[in-house]
Amino acid sequence: MSHTVLVCDDAIFMRTMISDILAQAGFEIVGEAETGREAVEKYRQLKPDLVTMDIVMPDMGGIEAVREICKDSPEARILMCSAMGQQALVVEAIQAGAKDFVVKPFQPSRVLEAVQRVLG
Amino acid sequence: MDLSRYANLFLTESREQLGLSGQALLEWERQPAAAEPVVSLFRAMHTFKGMAAAMGYANLAELAHRIESVLDVLRSDPAAGREHVDLFFRVVDGLERGVERAVEGGDGALDFAALIEELNQASAAAAPTGSWAVPAPAPPPVAAEPAGAGRQVQVTIRSDTPLRGARALLVLRKAATLGAVGAVRPPVGVFESDTFEGQFGFDLQSELAEAAVVEALRSVGDVASVVIGAPPAQPADETVERRRQIRMDARRLDTIMNLVGELVVAKGRLTDLADQAGEPELKALAARISRVTSTLYGEVVQARLTPVWQVLDRFPRLVRDLARQLGRRVRFEVAGEDTQLDRAILDEIGEPLLHLLRNAVDHGIEPPEERKRRGKPEEGLIRVVASSDRTTVLLQVSDDGRGIDQSRVLETARKAGLVAPETRALADDELLRVLARPGFSTATRVTDVSGRGMGMDAALSRIRLLGGSVELTSVAGQGSTFTLRLPMTLAIVRALLAVVGEERYAIPIAGVAETVEYRPERTASLEGREGFILREELLPLVQLRDRLGVTGPRPPGRQPAVILEVGERRTAVVVDALVGQQEIVVEPFDAPKGMLPVFSGATILGDGIPALIVDPAALV
Repeated sequence: MSHTVLVCDDAIFMRTMISDILAQAGFEIVGEAETGREAVEKYRQLKPDLVTMDIVMPDMGGIEAVREICKDSPEARILMCSAMGQQALVVEAIQAGAKDFVVKPFQPSRVLEAVQRVLG
Repeated sequence: MDLSRYANLFLTESREQLGLSGQALLEWERQPAAAEPVVSLFRAMHTFKGMAAAMGYANLAELAHRIESVLDVLRSDPAAGREHVDLFFRVVDGLERGVERAVEGGDGALDFAALIEELNQASAAAAPTGSWAVPAPAPPPVAAEPAGAGRQVQVTIRSDTPLRGARALLVLRKAATLGAVGAVRPPVGVFESDTFEGQFGFDLQSELAEAAVVEALRSVGDVASVVIGAPPAQPADETVERRRQIRMDARRLDTIMNLVGELVVAKGRLTDLADQAGEPELKALAARISRVTSTLYGEVVQARLTPVWQVLDRFPRLVRDLARQLGRRVRFEVAGEDTQLDRAILDEIGEPLLHLLRNAVDHGIEPPEERKRRGKPEEGLIRVVASSDRTTVLLQVSDDGRGIDQSRVLETARKAGLVAPETRALADDELLRVLARPGFSTATRVTDVSGRGMGMDAALSRIRLLGGSVELTSVAGQGSTFTLRLPMTLAIVRALLAVVGEERYAIPIAGVAETVEYRPERTASLEGREGFILREELLPLVQLRDRLGVTGPRPPGRQPAVILEVGERRTAVVVDALVGQQEIVVEPFDAPKGMLPVFSGATILGDGIPALIVDPAALV
């Protein structure tokens, strides 16, 4: 059975790109979230194997969402999606419980490597 | 990864984000102390930055990043940024313009240095008050336990990975699963800094064997080396790796191209002079310089080549939308999209191609019922195939539609007096000549689709001005194929050198049909203006002297007239004299204000004297 993924980003563009990369690698995209709050709700509801999480989103940012998700589910596998210059935020997200991160621009091979590490 | 597939989505969504930014700025102006506008603007800029970075538009991402950093600080004190709202507006405008250009051909040519400098200055000027200074991140609690007598571990994160500090933190966390971690050097707080180089050390007390520790830590990814019990060695092999490819500003490449072009022209002159001097040694040297220059030119041309998919990738969507709009069913195929072409040409062919595709959907492909009746598959096929040989790129646009309707074209052509009344059939090349007449259209109705944008004549003349040619084959009931033949590079063209007054002007040969002798008695009035009679045909006449405002005596004797041809439009241009042909290097320019819109660029002639390049399209 393929792994299930929840993709969280406020830009359709980014969600499409990430979903494409993962779907092509055989993952099943079970949900998408546009805000941190939605990410937390959908995580509870869908219990996906993997979450990709943008850092800055309206209505609860990604880091807070990670904190929120890990509070109930410390085992959650969350992959942060970051842009350059967000070192401090990524460090914070990791301290909050994110398992790994990828940096834009996404290279599919690097995204998949990170996903494998998180799932491994 | 083919990012161009996402270009449309990127365009739509980034416009949306920039629109939101504009609104937020207006709101900020109205309520300088309110937090919400700054937060919205920050968020929009951040989202935009991520998208631009994902598309590989580094310049756009960089500008967004700079404004984001400033906004990040202002979030806590919006009123402090009030006086800079203007600057922020200009940044958003800059991004807006940049997005359009980036989607067309990458953002390499965008230059935001001035805006970035202003952002920096704004930030620095206010820094002493504290409100503008970007605060150093507070060091988080060091997750280290007291050092035991563990093994010393030195880890180096690969230098080409982004966010090395975050990666280092993941390595530390992994280490913590292996045993007790202590004495992290440098302290973890440093990991948050963008200047963190990626080398760090810690003590590890673990039951595991050395090899197992190394393997576990490497599994975190992007780890260049793990050394236990010794300081890290410089990863020498990586330095070699990094040298293989360099990034380069596209404008620098343009400059090199222009310089090499000048060298090519100077080389021609040198060869002439060496021949005249008859000095064997000089001749040999000139020949050698000539060979090296040619090779150099070839290399630079190679470096400027860009794959055609950068233009073609937006067409599948367009064709689909068009087909839907017109009730056609169309399969659109593209082949050879990796074929390479000079960037300058690539920028110019989008519109002509779009015209041909519109035409194929609108006039070529029949409606599904009609295709069915004719025993064709209901779904029509439109193909764009790109291919190249050493110096030429071919772009073929073909459809399997009804072909060009000879009878209708003939009828219109006869009415317009373009062909003899008794003509019964047109060869493909004649057909093309007729189609290329300005305003010629066989469409019985003006559709929303083909009726807009550039006409066939403009599309075809654009190709010719690029030094290209167009061929047409059309078979009734089976479809049409337009073959565009383009030079691989534009920077060097052959030009006719004309003298007017004291100056020489270059006229690209691609726009010249012929040169004839100008005789004042062969002029007549054409729609109230001066016309020139050329073999029974009355052409508009331009006295370049008058057009350029050159005064002084005309040269004695007969003057030549250059017959310019753009598409099917022709104009006679009278000059003082013609002084030969030459390869010239086109240096495009933004014409200074007030300059006549007659020139498309400038060049340096073989003898080192600059000359303006006449744009045939502007005179015809």
